[in-house]
Amino acid sequence: METRKLFTDSSLIQALRSEANPDEAIRYLYRTQYQLTEAYIKQNSGTPEDAEDIFQEVVLVFIEILRNDKFRGESSVSTFLYALTRNIWLNELKKRGKSKLRDEIFEKGKEKETMDVSYHIANRESKSRLMQLVDQLGENCKKILLAFYFENLAMKEILKQLKYDNEQVVRNKKYKCLKQLEQMIAREPGLAKTFKSSQLYE
Amino acid sequence: MNEDSTYTDLLIQYLDGELSGEELESFEKKLAESEVLRGELENLALAKQAVRRYGLKNEISLIHGEMIEDMKTKTLPRSPVRKMIFQYAFRVAAILIVLIGLSAVYQYLTVTPDKLFTENFHVFDLHETRGATGTNIENAYKKDDMEAVLLEFRQLKNPQAGDFFLAGNAFLTTHQPAKAVEAFDSVRQINQSHKTHIFEEDAEYYLALSYLANKEPARAYPIFEKIHADAAHPYNKEVSAWFLRKVNRLQER
Repeated sequence: METRKLFTDSSLIQALRSEANPDEAIRYLYRTQYQLTEAYIKQNSGTPEDAEDIFQEVVLVFIEILRNDKFRGESSVSTFLYALTRNIWLNELKKRGKSKLRDEIFEKGKEKETMDVSYHIANRESKSRLMQLVDQLGENCKKILLAFYFENLAMKEILKQLKYDNEQVVRNKKYKCLKQLEQMIAREPGLAKTFKSSQLYE
Repeated sequence: MNEDSTYTDLLIQYLDGELSGEELESFEKKLAESEVLRGELENLALAKQAVRRYGLKNEISLIHGEMIEDMKTKTLPRSPVRKMIFQYAFRVAAILIVLIGLSAVYQYLTVTPDKLFTENFHVFDLHETRGATGTNIENAYKKDDMEAVLLEFRQLKNPQAGDFFLAGNAFLTTHQPAKAVEAFDSVRQINQSHKTHIFEEDAEYYLALSYLANKEPARAYPIFEKIHADAAHPYNKEVSAWFLRKVNRLQER
């Protein structure tokens, strides 16, 4: 029989902060929050596909906020996620050139607004561009960098998984890959500048 | 490539927290002195954060696919709207079944020979099944002129089985069921005496219908019962079990 873990706000926050295994906590967010997000997006001129994209972004941003210790816990997780959803959707409408619709939705939900989370969703487009740059790296580069910086694997583990000759080869490869990505970023000065001014990535 | 860019390896080690002691101290001094180095470090830090975000995004995307699939298969059938639609459809179906049942009971209880005859009588179609024989009575029948059929029939000195059969239909159409019974019965007798089979099964069915029209269901019933029991009889499908039950009710009254 399938068992599902129940989370309190604080255990949920703790689980999502943990880089080791946040999967069950993410699933819990889907079970408890997804339909609310979908209903909100659909009520405000969005499609079910928009709801799927926005919810993924909301979860991503929320986890980043937690991991950067930017969540002050002044509201419940659910309220905070609603505020994030609303801000991201309004931002998306603006990006799509639907400013009039954006203003209408903004006015409609103004009284429900309990907090300003706009700070957390600054630079959406720049972040999206950064993702494109990572995507442009070769597959081996992505594997090495993800194994090292995202999965936090030791060089020995990476060596086992990717079958290079020795640790030094992996180290050199990692160096070249990160440098390659750094150069791609450097070629777009405006991109790095955006983040410097907001200091979102610390 | 300027001198500062040769420090990239150290920058990455610094970023990964791999420098310590004097090496760290010395490098931090270099950093403090060089804006170019600080710029490169910022870009490397951004690259590292981008990789982490990329990884997290992929992880969420994988769970997203799994959860959407899961919700589609598990939560949709439980959604209140679907449940409501199902319950509503179920209620409508139940009401329809009850109404059909009540209607059947009503029909059964209020059945009369006239009603049953009117619902089931269709004048025999000579065009479709027997073709043209060219006699006057047949020509009149094809023209659907039942008065002319009966006129021709009365003028015949020696009417044959076919003539009696068409006259029987004309009698039924003109509301003379007793005469129709005589005519169809004559078809049966002629066939028996001449050992022929002219309109034999047709006459059998129409004779039973004539009995119904003549308010003699007890006579009609055994004939209908025989037709119903004989799957090969051309009128077998006309005599359903439900129809037979209604005739039975009439004969029991």
